[in-house]
Amino acid sequence: MSAEPAVEVTDLVVHHGTTAALRGVSLQVLPGEVLALLGPSGSGKSTLLHAVAGFLEPTSGVVRLGGRTVSGAGRPVPPERRDLAVVFQNYALWPHLTALDTVAYPARRRGESRAQARAEGRALLGRLHVAHLADRRPAELSGGEQQRVGLARALARRPAVYLFDEPTAHLDTHVRGVFLEELASRRRESGAAAVYATHDAEEALGLADRVALLDAGRLVQVGTPEQVYAQPVDAFAARLTGPASVIDAPDGSGELLVRLGWARLGGPLEGKVRGSWFRGPHTDHLVDTPLGELLIRESGGACRPVGERIRWTLLHGWSLPGHDGRG
Amino acid sequence: MLAACGEPTTDAGTAAQDLTLYTCLSDETVQPVIAAFEDSAPGASVDLFRAPTGELNARVAADVRSGGLRADVFWGCDPLTVQDLVDQGLVGGWTPPEADAIPAQFRTADYVGAHLLYMVAVHRTDVPAPATWADLPAAGRTVAVPDPSVAASALGALGWFAADPGYGLDFYQRLADAGAVQVRTPDEVTTGVAQGLYDLGMTTANSAYAAVDDGSPVAVAWPQPGAVAVYGPVALATASADSAVAQDFISFAVGPEGQQTIGASGSYPTRPGVTGPSVPAGAPVVHPDWTSIAADRDAVLGGYQRVFGG
Amino acid sequence: MSRVGRPAGARTGTAVAAVVLLAVLVGYPLLRLALVAADEWPGVRPAGLGEALRNTVVLAGAVTLAAVPVGVALALVLRRPDLPGRALWQAAVLLPLLVPDFVLGYSWTQAYARAGFTDTLLGVHWAGLLGPAGVWLVLVVNAAPLAYLVVAVALAARAEPDLERAARISGAGAATTAVTVTVRLALPAVAAAGVLVFVLTLGSFAIPQVLGAPAGFRTVTTQIYADLSLGGDPTSFVRAVTLAVVLVLVTAACTAPADVLLAPRLRSQRPADARPAAALPARPAVLRGQTLALGGYAGLTAGLPLAALLLASITRAVGVPPTPGNWALDHFRTVLTPRTAEALGRSLALALVAATLLVLLGGLVAVAERRRAGRTAATLTTLTLVLPGSTLAVGLLLAYGRWLSGTLTLILLAYLAKLWAVAHRPIAGALDRFPPDELRAARVSGAGALTAVRTVALPPLAPALLGAWLLCFLTALHEVTMSSLLYGPGSETLAVVVLNSQELGRIGPTAALSVVLTVLVALPAGLLWWASRRWSAPAREVPAGVG
Repeated sequence: MSAEPAVEVTDLVVHHGTTAALRGVSLQVLPGEVLALLGPSGSGKSTLLHAVAGFLEPTSGVVRLGGRTVSGAGRPVPPERRDLAVVFQNYALWPHLTALDTVAYPARRRGESRAQARAEGRALLGRLHVAHLADRRPAELSGGEQQRVGLARALARRPAVYLFDEPTAHLDTHVRGVFLEELASRRRESGAAAVYATHDAEEALGLADRVALLDAGRLVQVGTPEQVYAQPVDAFAARLTGPASVIDAPDGSGELLVRLGWARLGGPLEGKVRGSWFRGPHTDHLVDTPLGELLIRESGGACRPVGERIRWTLLHGWSLPGHDGRG
Repeated sequence: MLAACGEPTTDAGTAAQDLTLYTCLSDETVQPVIAAFEDSAPGASVDLFRAPTGELNARVAADVRSGGLRADVFWGCDPLTVQDLVDQGLVGGWTPPEADAIPAQFRTADYVGAHLLYMVAVHRTDVPAPATWADLPAAGRTVAVPDPSVAASALGALGWFAADPGYGLDFYQRLADAGAVQVRTPDEVTTGVAQGLYDLGMTTANSAYAAVDDGSPVAVAWPQPGAVAVYGPVALATASADSAVAQDFISFAVGPEGQQTIGASGSYPTRPGVTGPSVPAGAPVVHPDWTSIAADRDAVLGGYQRVFGG
Repeated sequence: MSRVGRPAGARTGTAVAAVVLLAVLVGYPLLRLALVAADEWPGVRPAGLGEALRNTVVLAGAVTLAAVPVGVALALVLRRPDLPGRALWQAAVLLPLLVPDFVLGYSWTQAYARAGFTDTLLGVHWAGLLGPAGVWLVLVVNAAPLAYLVVAVALAARAEPDLERAARISGAGAATTAVTVTVRLALPAVAAAGVLVFVLTLGSFAIPQVLGAPAGFRTVTTQIYADLSLGGDPTSFVRAVTLAVVLVLVTAACTAPADVLLAPRLRSQRPADARPAAALPARPAVLRGQTLALGGYAGLTAGLPLAALLLASITRAVGVPPTPGNWALDHFRTVLTPRTAEALGRSLALALVAATLLVLLGGLVAVAERRRAGRTAATLTTLTLVLPGSTLAVGLLLAYGRWLSGTLTLILLAYLAKLWAVAHRPIAGALDRFPPDELRAARVSGAGALTAVRTVALPPLAPALLGAWLLCFLTALHEVTMSSLLYGPGSETLAVVVLNSQELGRIGPTAALSVVLTVLVALPAGLLWWASRRWSAPAREVPAGVG
């Protein structure tokens, strides 16, 4: 396993014309790691991926892949000579190529024979359960099928780093399984890593080893999913990583983050129901309390009428560091 | 909106004082003649359609097939074209009394020559002038000749050379053997020689003298036995046979005043004694037999094309 | 294939309108020509027809094979926003389009033939220039900008950067990506460019005439010209018309399969996320190399010949050294008279109206083309393009001369008929893969049919429309053959006035005319170009999926 980070960006700044898309981002992705880039749209996720892939030249800063500087010193290394694969937003399947030719494309570029490249492509399509679609063109594929072909093309590249540029749909269970399995096996031999850009907290938390929160071209926080979920650095980070209520601390010490499940019905504190949503296994209640608005999840339960007075208990809270104006 | 900008050419004879003239003469010559005519005949007005021979023929052919020839007067640049129109019954049948003053070789009963073209030799000033046409094919020099299947003046020259016992089609054979190049029109010959693409060539006197006047490094030669004269006939449209203003125009064009205007404008008049552009003293001129050229056209052209492979 | 999301009635209406206009502008005049050929056919096969036909088709094929790759290469290189001096090069490669063919032929002989620039300065000249090879090369140079324009506007209209990025990240280098993805995706436009170049070459006249005739190289068009020129003999007229009809048939035989068989196969829908974006960054060495190659190309094909042209316009006579001592403005005086000023206004108005209508007509057929019947219409538009101007003008005179002879309206009809394909092909190339969902989305958002087209379809198609407009405007502005056959009192165009004042063939005034037109056109064209760059700049500066 390589000792160097699979991806390392340092002080990365990217301008699009006069607007800054990245304002000094430094980040490491370790070999074998899946890093989720989580941020609202416009926060710079795609720009960061494009800079790593070599699709654009950063205004300043350095990009290193496996210890090799690819941008920022001397001539930038073109995308085809960076050891990367990208799964694009809308999968970017070439309309004129069949699924098989698409998946065989990277191997062909490596110089493999047509027959060999196709054999490998067929095997990859098989692993993703889409071997029967080998002769179809993108227009004849559903979104999910396109995703699988797009991933198969990335796998065919056998890169050190996979970049996911906000795939429009969630990776389905099977696709995710194949991908993580691939990553694990590649990790043993070469230390493959992945960067997964998304604006979906649930997907980021569920998939990644670490999550990087991005806002307006700056990194807000980097940490394990548990850390960014339970101990966000501010209210913005808190809201980005999942349903969050921010209330005044009962002891008046500042703001308190209360996740779903950190409070329960019944207890010493008072409140009034403002809304109630039945969700099957549980029911969510939005409660007006003297400390602020709070979302409380009740196991089982049923809808309650608006205005009903209830009582509740605070089980756990995370003291948010000083308000930084981000809101 | 656009239609309002132009008005349709008047049909033949709709207005007694209006006439439509089709010609291949350049504006330089025809505009002064029209101006002089309109001055001499108050109220008369000439609508002009001027085009190179090819376009002019196409317009006539299209007119004939869409309601009839729209010209009252046709002023061509060679007798063959006009004779063809006569044969189709489009023009002819009348010449003015003034025609009697024009030499007989420049007129028929259907039309009368109003101006002349001379096929002469143009050569670069650093190349000796050809004394006779037979001097044209010379080793080491590139000669350009106009295509007789495009330019009627070139066809006239071909007709004359082919019929002359001293030249015949052999003349063209010798030209071809000496590496002569065939271009399309006399003007292209002049331009090519002036430019230095060719050393000398066969072209019209007007075009050659214009290049000399501009200052191009060329000179004009009138080789023995003579420059080939091609006359430009003017004819009355048969549909306008009773148009007085059209008849007046033709009379004016071949009359003394019209001929002087033509001469002053840089074209060669047909009327003897009228001053035209420079013709060197004693310059020899030969006259093709247009009737026999018209009759033998395909045979002569066929022989020529075997030589020049066109 | 893709259908624009509009009610069936409207679609049928478009197709019907296209067919009616085609019948008026193309069908009826062609029919009249065919009838002349059929009724008056003297029964003799024109001598040399086989050779002329073979020359024409081989020439057109050879020109297409060379000009299209050159145009594609130019489009790929000039697409790069980081290319030094990009705007300058974009203008430079289009320069040959500004010059009438007949002058272009002359300027090449002045630059490279015996006694030309290279001969005078270096003692080197190219004897082959006056012959088939020269005809081929100059036609290639003349057609390459056209191919470039068609391909470039298509690339601009539907850049799909992620598809190229996917290729690069899959290990393909820049060149491999261009071949396997970019050009492959632009194939409809490349095919459109190919058909356009092929047909234009079939119908090209001035360059085969000026450069081919001295070597005895005959094409159908020069043969037609010869037949029209020689006497008022009705059989030679019929022969010319017959040749023209044969040319049309040959064109139909060559382009119809391309349109009917090839087009649907080449077509593929653009994904919804396509948007213009900067090309991938290139290595400085590559950029330098490309700039150098461009400079060489532009210098040899446009720079030197056009310098010859400029010098011809200010040198008092053909054949004198173009040194300051021989400079004079006589030719400009010939061109710039009150009469020509009036004609210039007329020509400008005519070209403006024609170009605008042509873009509408081109769009109409491009939309109608998405239906089967429309594809036939598209093929029909190319047929008038191939007709030599003189023959098309005769066809229009035969059809409408009775009422419109000598009017500007007839000249306008001639321009519309002749240039319809020039407008249609680039627009069709760009429209080809326009996703119908985008229009449907506009319609369900409450936009009427026209509003939907204006707000959703027009912006991405703007470069193609502008390119088509410019092409038509330029061609119409210095058109000479048709207007010199169709004009009447009060409808003389600029070219007619200038060329009538002298015998055709006088280089100086014609060169001066070209220079005047070039300046007149370069000014608004530059402004338009600048405006279009401003227009598309915001889209370009925010690359795909910043988020």
